[in-house]
Amino acid sequence: MWKGFIGKLSGKAPKSVGGGGGGWGSPPSKSPTSYGANGGQWDPMRSSPPLPVVAGAEGDTREDVFLRKVTVCCVLFDFSTDRVGRDSPERERKRQVLMSLVDCVGAAEEPLTEAMVSACVGMFAINLFRVFPPKVRPGAGGAAEADEDDPFFDPSWYHLQVVYELLLRFVMSPVVDVKVARKYVDNSFISRLLDLLDSDDPRERDCLKTVLHRIYGKFMGNRPFIRKAVSNIIYRFVSEDDHHNGIAELLEVFGSVISGFAKPLKEEHKLFLCKALIPLHKPKAVGMYLPQLTYCITQFIDKEPKLSGTVIRGLLKYWPVTNSQKEMMFLGELEEVLELTEMPEFQKCMVPLFRRVAHCLNSSHFQVAERALYLWNNEHVFNLISRNHQVILPIIYPALERNARLHWNQSVLNVTMNVRKMFFDMDQKLLLACQKKFQEEEEKQAESEERRRLIWEHLERNAAFHQVTGDISFSVVTKSAPLVAPTMT
Amino acid sequence: MATVDEPLYPIAVLIDELKNEDIQLRLNSIRRLSTIARALGEERTRKELIPFLSENNDDEDEVLLAMAEELGVFIPYVGGVEHAHVLLPPLETLSTVEETCVRDKAVESLCRIGAQMKENDIVDFFIPVVKRLASGEWFTARVSSCGLFHIAYPSATDPLKTELRTIYGQLCQDDMPMVRRAAASNLGKFAATIEQSHLKTEIMSIFDDLTQDDQDSVRLLAVEGCAALGKLLEPQDCVAHILPVIVNFSQDKSWRVRYMVANQLYELCEAVGPEPTRADLVPAYVRLLRDNEAEVRIAAAGKVTKFCRILSPQLAVQHILPCVKELSSDSSQHVRSALASVIMGMAPVLGKDATIEQLLPIFLSLLKDEFPDVRLNIISKLDQVNQVIGIDLLSQSLLPAIVELAEDRHWRVRLAIIEYIPLLASQLGVGFFDDKLGALCMQWLEDKVYSIREAAANNLKRLAEEFGPEWAMQHIIPQVLEKINNPHYLYRMTILQAISLLAPVMGAEITCQKLLPVVINSSKDRVPNIKFNVAKVLQSLVPILDQSVVEKTVKPCLVELSEDPDVDVRYYANQALQACDQIMMSS
Repeated sequence: MWKGFIGKLSGKAPKSVGGGGGGWGSPPSKSPTSYGANGGQWDPMRSSPPLPVVAGAEGDTREDVFLRKVTVCCVLFDFSTDRVGRDSPERERKRQVLMSLVDCVGAAEEPLTEAMVSACVGMFAINLFRVFPPKVRPGAGGAAEADEDDPFFDPSWYHLQVVYELLLRFVMSPVVDVKVARKYVDNSFISRLLDLLDSDDPRERDCLKTVLHRIYGKFMGNRPFIRKAVSNIIYRFVSEDDHHNGIAELLEVFGSVISGFAKPLKEEHKLFLCKALIPLHKPKAVGMYLPQLTYCITQFIDKEPKLSGTVIRGLLKYWPVTNSQKEMMFLGELEEVLELTEMPEFQKCMVPLFRRVAHCLNSSHFQVAERALYLWNNEHVFNLISRNHQVILPIIYPALERNARLHWNQSVLNVTMNVRKMFFDMDQKLLLACQKKFQEEEEKQAESEERRRLIWEHLERNAAFHQVTGDISFSVVTKSAPLVAPTMT
Repeated sequence: MATVDEPLYPIAVLIDELKNEDIQLRLNSIRRLSTIARALGEERTRKELIPFLSENNDDEDEVLLAMAEELGVFIPYVGGVEHAHVLLPPLETLSTVEETCVRDKAVESLCRIGAQMKENDIVDFFIPVVKRLASGEWFTARVSSCGLFHIAYPSATDPLKTELRTIYGQLCQDDMPMVRRAAASNLGKFAATIEQSHLKTEIMSIFDDLTQDDQDSVRLLAVEGCAALGKLLEPQDCVAHILPVIVNFSQDKSWRVRYMVANQLYELCEAVGPEPTRADLVPAYVRLLRDNEAEVRIAAAGKVTKFCRILSPQLAVQHILPCVKELSSDSSQHVRSALASVIMGMAPVLGKDATIEQLLPIFLSLLKDEFPDVRLNIISKLDQVNQVIGIDLLSQSLLPAIVELAEDRHWRVRLAIIEYIPLLASQLGVGFFDDKLGALCMQWLEDKVYSIREAAANNLKRLAEEFGPEWAMQHIIPQVLEKINNPHYLYRMTILQAISLLAPVMGAEITCQKLLPVVINSSKDRVPNIKFNVAKVLQSLVPILDQSVVEKTVKPCLVELSEDPDVDVRYYANQALQACDQIMMSS
C-alpha cells in the first residue's frame, strides 16, 4: 500500500537540477535530495552506498553482529527522486537488516550491552533527525496541487517505519536497562524527537506519539524536562508562529500524562493548565486539536473540580468574535466543562458567562444560536441555571426577547420560545419583571445614547480650555476622534 | 431629554464607560483618553488618570492594545517630557501580559517615550523598568525587556552600562527559547548603541553563543542579525568574526538557515569589502545558487544582480553566470521567476558583448518560459535591456510572448501586461506598435473581466498621451467609437469610460466633434445604467467643452435625463446639471 504512495509521490516530488549542471541526463545517483539529512551539499557517495557486510567470522559475539547490523542501518538512502534505485537491492537489504534488528530486540533475553544501546540511539538519530522540506508554495500561478488538506507522505517512510518500530521496541523492551539507556536517550535526544512532531506525515506523528508516551513512562528522570519542552512548544505555537502539525498528538500524549498526575495537583501542573492549555484556545487552527485539548482540560477538572472556574474564564477570554465554526466548538467544550462544574465555581463566573451566552443566543448564524440554546437541554446545566435563575434570567432575557422578535431561523425561534417557557414556569413574576424592564430600557435607549453624546461633547468643550504642553497637533487629534459612539445592537 | 448641566467628573465618565458591557463603547472611551486627560488638566492626569489606568488593566486584549497605543503619545497630556516617567508604570504592566500584540505595542510605546526622556530620567526611571522586566518571573516580561535595551543603554552611566550588557548576556542564555529568540532578534539594535571595544568582545561572544544554540529557531534569528552586526564592526573584525560564521551557516543542515544566509549575503559582502568577498563569499554564494532546496535557490537567485554589481565583471562571468544559466532552466518555476525579475539588471554589469553573447540566450529562453509569471517578470524590466542591446534584437522574440500573455487565462496576468503596454509603446515606437499591438489594445476593451476593461480604457488614454492626439485620431478614436454599438451594455459602458478618459487628452475640438455626439446618442440607450453613466461622462466633459456647446447640447440632454423614469438616472443627471451651473457661474 505504501509503495503506491511512494510511486505517487516521487512523480510529484520536485526534480531538482541543482547539482553540477545538466542534472536531467545524469544517472540517478547524482540527483540531489530534498529529504536528505546532511544539509545543502549532496554527497555523491551517499546515494549509492556500499552497505557494510553483516555476516562475520565464526567466533563473533552477539554484540559484534548486532553492532555491524546497526552500522548498516546508519547508511541513508535518497528516496526523493530516482526511480531506478527505488527497488535497489541495497535499499531492500537495509530494510531487512532493520527488521532483523526489530526481531532481535523483541526476542532478546539478556540485556543489551552499553555499546549496543549507544549504537542504537546513534542510529536512531542519524535516521530520524532531519530537517523537513519547505511546505508547497501556495498560489502564485501554481497548479491546484497545493491542496491544504492532502496529507503529506514522506517517501522515505519505507525505512523510517521500521526505524520507528525498532525505537518503540527499544523503549519498551525489558532488556534495555533504563540506567544505561538514560545516558543516550538524554534531553537533547528527546528534544529532537519532539521537534519531529511537526512532521507533515501523519504516520510519523502517530509513531512519535506512541514512542513519546513510552519514553515518558519509562524514563522518569526526564519527565520534568519533557513537560518543560512541551510547554515551550505550546508557548511558541500560541504566541509566535501559529503553525505546528503535531499539537493534537502532543495533547493526546499529555491526556494520559495528566490523568496520571497525583492529587492534590502540584502548582507546576496547574501552571501548565493556565499558561499553556487554556491559551491553546486562541490559535485559529484550534479545530485541529480541540477534542484532545478538551480531554486534557476535563482531566484537570476531574482531579480538581475547583479549576473549572479558571477554565471557564479562560474560554471567555479567548471566545471567538467572528468565527462561527470556532464558536460552536467553544460552546461544545463549554457544555462539557459545565457538566463537571460544581455550584460554588459556577456561581463565581456565571455573570460574565451568561453575558457571553446571551450574545451567542442572538447570533445570526443559526447553528451557533441553536448550540447555545441546547445548553438548557443538559440536565446538569439546567440544574445549575434553574438554581441561579434570579441572576441569570435578567442577563439572558433581552437576548430571548430579541430572538423571539427578530430571529430569522424558525428552529431558533421555537427553541427560544421553549427556553422562555421554562423560565416562565420557574418564576413567572421575575420573567414579567424582566419583560417590563426590557421595554423600559428600550424606550430609554435613544435617551441614554443622547446623554452619552452630550457628556462627551461637554468633556470636549472642557478639554479645549486646557493648554497642552508642547503639543501643537492636539486640535487635529480631537477632530479626528468620532464624537458619537457607534451603538452595537 | 438628558441634560448635562451638573458638573462633570471626567474620571467618573471614564470609569462609567469602562464598566459598559459593550466592548465597542469601552474601546471608544479608551480611544478618547486624550480628551479626558485634557479635561482633567496635566496635574490631575498625572495624579488620578494614570494611576487609575495602571490598576485597571484586566480588560479584553483589544482594549489593552488600544490603551498601550494611546499611552505612547500621551507625553503632552501629562505635562511634557519632564513628567514622561509617570507613563512608564501602566506600560510596564501591559508589557507583561500574555497577548503578543499588546506586549509588542506596549514595548513600542515605551521606546517612543524613552526616546524623548532626558538622560537622568532614563537612569532614574526607565532603566529600573528594563531591569525589572528582564528579571520578570514569567517569560513575557523578559521577552519584552529585550526590545528596550537600545533605548536605555546610550543614557546609562558606565557601571549601569556594564550591568545592562551583563543582563542582556543572561537573556541570551535564558532557559526559555522564547526569551533567547527575542534577545537574538533585538541584538542588532542593541549592538548599534554599544561602544566598539565592548562590541568586539562581549557582544561578539553573545553572538557566537546564539549561533550555536541548539534550537533551530534561535540560530535562524542570529543569522538574520548578522548582516546588521557586520556593518557595525570594522571590516577586519567583520572578516575575523562574522565571515567564518556565515560561511559555516551557508552549509547548515537546516534549509531555513541557508535561506536566511542567501537573503543576507549581499549585505554582508558590503560590510566585509571586495577582497574577502572574492575569496570566501563567492564560493558560498555559488553553493547557495546550487542548493538542493528550491526555497534557498529562490532567495539566492533574487540577489544575483546585486551580488554581481559588487564583483568585477570578470568574476561575475566566471563564477556567477554559469549558475545563472543553470537556474534559467531550474525545475522550480519560482526560481526561474525570481531570476527573471532581476536578470535584466545584470546587463549593465556585464557590458554589451557579454550580454549579447551570454545573457541574451538566457533572457530569450526565460521569455519563452511556460509559466506566465516568468515571462511577465522579463517583460516588466524591458527598458533595462533595451538600453544595452537595443530593441531590434528583441522584437522578434518579444512579440509572441506579449501576444500570448495578452490572452493568458489568468486575468491578473493580462492586467499586468496591459500596464506595461505604454512602456512597451515608448520603447518600441509608433511603427512597431501600429503593426502588432494596436489590435490587442482594442481587444481588451471587450474582455470578460471588468478590471481588464477598465485597465484597457486607461491604457488607451496613456497611449494617446504618448503618441499624441493626431495619432490617436487615426488609430484609436474610430475603433473605439465603433464599439459603442456592442449589444452588451457592459461593453458600451466601457466605451463611455474610455471616452471620458480620452477627452482631456484629445482637446475641445475633437471632443466636441467626435466624442460628444456619441455620448449624447447614448442618452437614448434602453439601459438605465448606461444613461446615468452618460450623465456622469457629460459632467466630466463640461470643463473641456465651450460654454456654448454646453448650453446648446449638453444641458438639454441632461434636462431630458433628469426627467427619466429611473431614480438613479435622475439623480446623476441632477448632479451633472448642478456641476454645469457651478462651472458656468465661476467662469
